[in-house]
Amino acid sequence: MIRYTLTRLALLLLGLFVASVLIFLTLRVLPGDVAQLIAGTSSTPQQVDAISERLGLGEPLPAQYLDWMGGVLRGDLGTSLLTGSSVTGELAQKAQVTVPLGILSLTIALLFSLPLGVVSAMRRGRASGTALSVGSQALAAVPVVWAGMMLVVVFAVWLGWLPAQGFPRAGWADPSAALRALILPALTIGIVEGAMLLRFVRSATLQAVGQDYVRTAAAKGLTRDAALIRHGLPNVGLSVVTVLGLQVAGIIVGAVVIEQLFSLPGIGRMLVADVSARDLPKVQGELLALTGFVLIVGFVVDLVHRALDPRQREAS
Amino acid sequence: MLRRTALAATSLLAVGALLLSACTTGGGSTGSSSAGAPDADASAVIRLVLEPSNLDIRQTAGAALDQILIDNVYEGLVARTPEQDIVPALASDWEVSEDGLTYTFTLREGVTFHDGQPLTPEDVVWSLTTRKTTPEWSDSARLANVETITADGQTITLTLSAPDSTLLWNLTGRAGLVLKQGDTVDYKTAANGTGPFVLDTWRQGDSITFTRNDAYWGDPAQVGEVVFDYIPDNQAALNAALAGEVDVVTGFDANLRDQVEANGDFELVLGQSTDKGTLAFNQASGPLADKRVRQAIRQAIDHEAFIEAAGSGETLYGPIPSLDPGYEDLSDVAPYDPEAAKALLEEAGAEDLTLTLTIPNFYSTTIPQILVSDLNEVGITLEVDSVDFPTWLNDVYVNKDYDLSYVLHTEARDFENWANPDYYFTYDNPEVQELYRRSVAATDPEEAAALLEEAARIVSEDAAADWLFNGASVVAVGTNITGMPSINVNERLDLSQLAKSNG
Repeated sequence: MIRYTLTRLALLLLGLFVASVLIFLTLRVLPGDVAQLIAGTSSTPQQVDAISERLGLGEPLPAQYLDWMGGVLRGDLGTSLLTGSSVTGELAQKAQVTVPLGILSLTIALLFSLPLGVVSAMRRGRASGTALSVGSQALAAVPVVWAGMMLVVVFAVWLGWLPAQGFPRAGWADPSAALRALILPALTIGIVEGAMLLRFVRSATLQAVGQDYVRTAAAKGLTRDAALIRHGLPNVGLSVVTVLGLQVAGIIVGAVVIEQLFSLPGIGRMLVADVSARDLPKVQGELLALTGFVLIVGFVVDLVHRALDPRQREAS
Repeated sequence: MLRRTALAATSLLAVGALLLSACTTGGGSTGSSSAGAPDADASAVIRLVLEPSNLDIRQTAGAALDQILIDNVYEGLVARTPEQDIVPALASDWEVSEDGLTYTFTLREGVTFHDGQPLTPEDVVWSLTTRKTTPEWSDSARLANVETITADGQTITLTLSAPDSTLLWNLTGRAGLVLKQGDTVDYKTAANGTGPFVLDTWRQGDSITFTRNDAYWGDPAQVGEVVFDYIPDNQAALNAALAGEVDVVTGFDANLRDQVEANGDFELVLGQSTDKGTLAFNQASGPLADKRVRQAIRQAIDHEAFIEAAGSGETLYGPIPSLDPGYEDLSDVAPYDPEAAKALLEEAGAEDLTLTLTIPNFYSTTIPQILVSDLNEVGITLEVDSVDFPTWLNDVYVNKDYDLSYVLHTEARDFENWANPDYYFTYDNPEVQELYRRSVAATDPEEAAALLEEAARIVSEDAAADWLFNGASVVAVGTNITGMPSINVNERLDLSQLAKSNG
């Protein structure tokens, strides 16, 4: 287990390094620069050069990369060219919206996808099972933006129960107001992600039904459903843990869209604004932090999976 | 049994009475809210579209900064009204010498900055001098004709090397803003001005809040607080309005009028603007170097279609919109006539032309759609390259690497770009440059406008570009709001008169 953990850790670090190089280079390919944006459309080239020099944009690429990495190793993700604020500070600030939004979305997704996924597998062939299966397929195909608009029209505009957009200016100082602002966005992500998860849980359960150990248990006198629940579901749970790791990345992507739609001041919206402002030090810091987060989640999932599944331990 | 019936009857009556009284109070409160007294401590929430990337008005370009900061937070010696008249601000009055070379301003007394420091004549001299001598600051070139800036008591004197009919106007903008000498405020995230509002908080990616400046030298603001809520999406803004989360929606879509007015809480107001939907032609080389091809494109375009699609705005056939001096209806220069366009293309030997339109991706797709179909009618294939704004700046503005480009130019009085052969328009006509130079040098405003008018006609006759429309300011205003400006609000938004009644 220790050897496995160390190998996996080395892979994680390699992944982070490769990601940092890719992030750095792809951003440099983008046309347009921040100095020109600051100077605007009534500027002279001299004005742009002066701003460029003040911001230190003329440095050669390797020097810029080493400078950035040096900062990252010291725990400094960089500084915004436009506002001079620290990327770490901004991330922490915006995480107050995005992290609760992610947790809430994931909770909603799990709450309905786990039981319904299992039920839809166990009722396969029956009308209710088919309805669940078709329903989830339809839901998973719904564009997130459309789902969000529908929820807003019903719950904010017609019924007036929840806010249509925005986050309280006081932030979490008023937890109930903050939570209310997150319900519709979290429902939007949760329903769409949950529908996909439901289909996964369903197929994992169906697979378990066909496994020898479930059949053996059934042969020993348990009903098929009881055999599945007692012996099959722990295995379904294991594969769900793995998929959840991937789901985290999906939720971050969902947040980028949803934060725009609901005007939430979170990481996703910040990222979009920073890319269109060509605030490259800030964007690369944000992307590295997000990539690092997803890679670490994957790392933890792998370790947990291995610790829980005896077959994998024997295999090594 | 009888008792039960009586009970039921009584309760029914009671419910009925409650319902009736609810109706009356409901009706009464609606009535009182529309005629309600202004609430001096009210917080007014205004939806804006474009958030500034930082607040440094000294050197960060962009209308998003001018829109909220000038007039409200920062002031100059003079200001402009929404109707584009030049009026006193930090100077109580001014005089221009006969020869147009000396401007004397009388600086108001008792003005303080938001941090409590008094405004001194030295601050004015320092601000204007630093603006002029710091090329990195926006609009510094607009003070090029100013030779000396001096103060004697409360009198500020500007002497010019040559007359400049644009100077006063320029002083109402960034070039004339008065800052505190040697201020240590972090301009990117904070502000220290003299205006009726104080910058309170900026939550990046979300909102900016101003509070009333109680020590303001003029009439104090009518609301306690203004919140600018940045909501890029129009549908989300409509939802926010219907859910009662904003009081004013700017940059709105006139096609959504019925929806926003449905429950009687909002009224849609259309105001003039200096927004010019500009279709630039790269005429440096290639097929567009031929004036006949450019003229053909202009005549192939049905300009009314843009007005119909937007549900607002006016047609425009030249570089100067109706709010600016020098405007003239130039519709006779390029009337919609696809047959004439085909003939011109044939004459120029430019049939089966394929051109690329480079357009920033935040504009409505309606614009390229109309252009593609109109040009297709006369045999021009238009390929649309939708790019983000920094890419547009790089490819089109800096490198002039484009065939056709679309951008909404919002600045008022920006004719100078047609007199600048280095601008991305690639239009170079010495006659226009000379007319513009003479207009700037004119000491009589009417003469200056007449010269601009003459130059603008030449620009249009040269088919230097096409002007698809002159946009309108579309603002949905809450019925409990008064004093909301409606003209050119994308450019400047003076909120000193804004009031909100309880209701």
